Amino acid sequence: MNPVFTQGLLDVDFGLFFWILITFLLFLFLLTKFAWRPILNALGEREKAIKDSLEAAQKAKEEALHISRENEKAMKEVESMSQRLRKEAIEEAEALRADRTEKARAEAEKLLDQARSTIEQEKKKALIELREEVGKMAIEAASRILDEEIDEERNRKIVDRYIKELT
Amino acid sequence: MKQLLRFLLMTLVFTTSVAVVSNADTGSENRIDLIGKVVDKYYLDFKPLTTIELPRLIYDNGNVHVYRSTTSLLNKSELFTDAAYVDAYPVTVDGRIKPASYQIVRLDGTSPQFDFSITNHLVFFWLAALLTFLIFIPLSKKYRKGTGRITEPQGPFQNIFETLVIFIRDEIALQNIGSQKYQMFTPYLLTVFFFILFMNFFGLMPWGVSATADITVTAALALFTFSATQIFASKDHWRHVFWFPGVPVPIKFILLPVELIGLFTKPFALCIRLFANMASGKILILSILGTIFIFADLFGSGVAYGTSWFWVFLTLFIYLIKALVGFIQAYVFTILSALFIGMATADHSDEHGH
Repeated sequence: MNPVFTQGLLDVDFGLFFWILITFLLFLFLLTKFAWRPILNALGEREKAIKDSLEAAQKAKEEALHISRENEKAMKEVESMSQRLRKEAIEEAEALRADRTEKARAEAEKLLDQARSTIEQEKKKALIELREEVGKMAIEAASRILDEEIDEERNRKIVDRYIKELT
Repeated sequence: MKQLLRFLLMTLVFTTSVAVVSNADTGSENRIDLIGKVVDKYYLDFKPLTTIELPRLIYDNGNVHVYRSTTSLLNKSELFTDAAYVDAYPVTVDGRIKPASYQIVRLDGTSPQFDFSITNHLVFFWLAALLTFLIFIPLSKKYRKGTGRITEPQGPFQNIFETLVIFIRDEIALQNIGSQKYQMFTPYLLTVFFFILFMNFFGLMPWGVSATADITVTAALALFTFSATQIFASKDHWRHVFWFPGVPVPIKFILLPVELIGLFTKPFALCIRLFANMASGKILILSILGTIFIFADLFGSGVAYGTSWFWVFLTLFIYLIKALVGFIQAYVFTILSALFIGMATADHSDEHGH
């Protein structure tokens, strides 16, 4: 039995250590130069592009929102203005109508007054004419009585009837 | 069979010992060298098909000796494999001496100055690196052309790896290092993550080996994180180490050694955690399968056959856990590296007063 000490689990092989150090550094350099940097730069570029476009979209959205809000505001303003104008127009029309009605009434009143005064005058004239006519008629009746010579009693009745007829 | 039992029990008990004694004289085909399955080798192990010996590079007496394989070294040089071993059991096939222990020594039995031969784990480390290259170089070309840069990422390939890259950048680097310095360390974290991930996953493949189940590899990786924390440390970091602000003077003297030890325990924990997690998986699987043979020895082969389905299912379960652990440990190593780097490079003055 010749016991042979085989390589132990925790033995450090300096030859291997040396190779790993050298080759790892070499691989690290090559990979960094030809693989990691290009990939990381590309990823960074892509992320920046995505971020930029998202920001631009956000900005555009905000702008659109702003514009639409402005539009709404303008629309509201226009509407309120139109409402006011309509109200004003209605009021004006109302005022105009009232004015005109008043005028018409005044006119009518005036015409009525005129008519009334005309009637009054006509009445006065008619009364005057009537009185003249009555007089004339009395004279005529008297003359007729005289002409026909009827008794006093009958005369009187005729005159009375006549007068009654007149009044 | 008794020997197998004794061996398995022994390896279970001594899994963390520095060296494991194994009986080399039996030559029994039933013997499984459990630790030998996990430790580094100077050949690629495709047993029972074949083994491929790796080149040996040895620096000794001012010369660099380069050999195509350990066998070619043995047959024509002044350096030998472990002398005692070769003497005791000369293995010769077709007139050529075959390596047995693969431990190279000089003819007088002393070790050479520096043995930097290519090993099994190094090959798998390179494979992981190569896989990372093969995935991310075409991917970066795709990004260069505009797919993923101007447009959205296309295809499952790009989507999967982009998700991982973004995850490491945003959830690991950015979260732990902060927005000012994270871009500097993201390539390092990405490299570490994918190397460890692929090394872990190679261990799940047939004949594959997790290079991360070797403490040398994890120590080297932890050394990089340690160097990053020390080289890029802020003034604040050093002030916290040597003259902790905001506490009475005697406490400062107590805190100084604590902080100094803390500098080294962090990378040490990184190294041990990854190594232990990855090594234990393989040992556990072999141990559970070994239980079948222990049962055969204890209760007879009938019981062993009867219960083997349970151990096989348990092994499959552990295998799935290993897949999960492979991912989790890559993540943990990366996030802790990021955390330590973040702690060392942070300027506390603008965040919170201690």
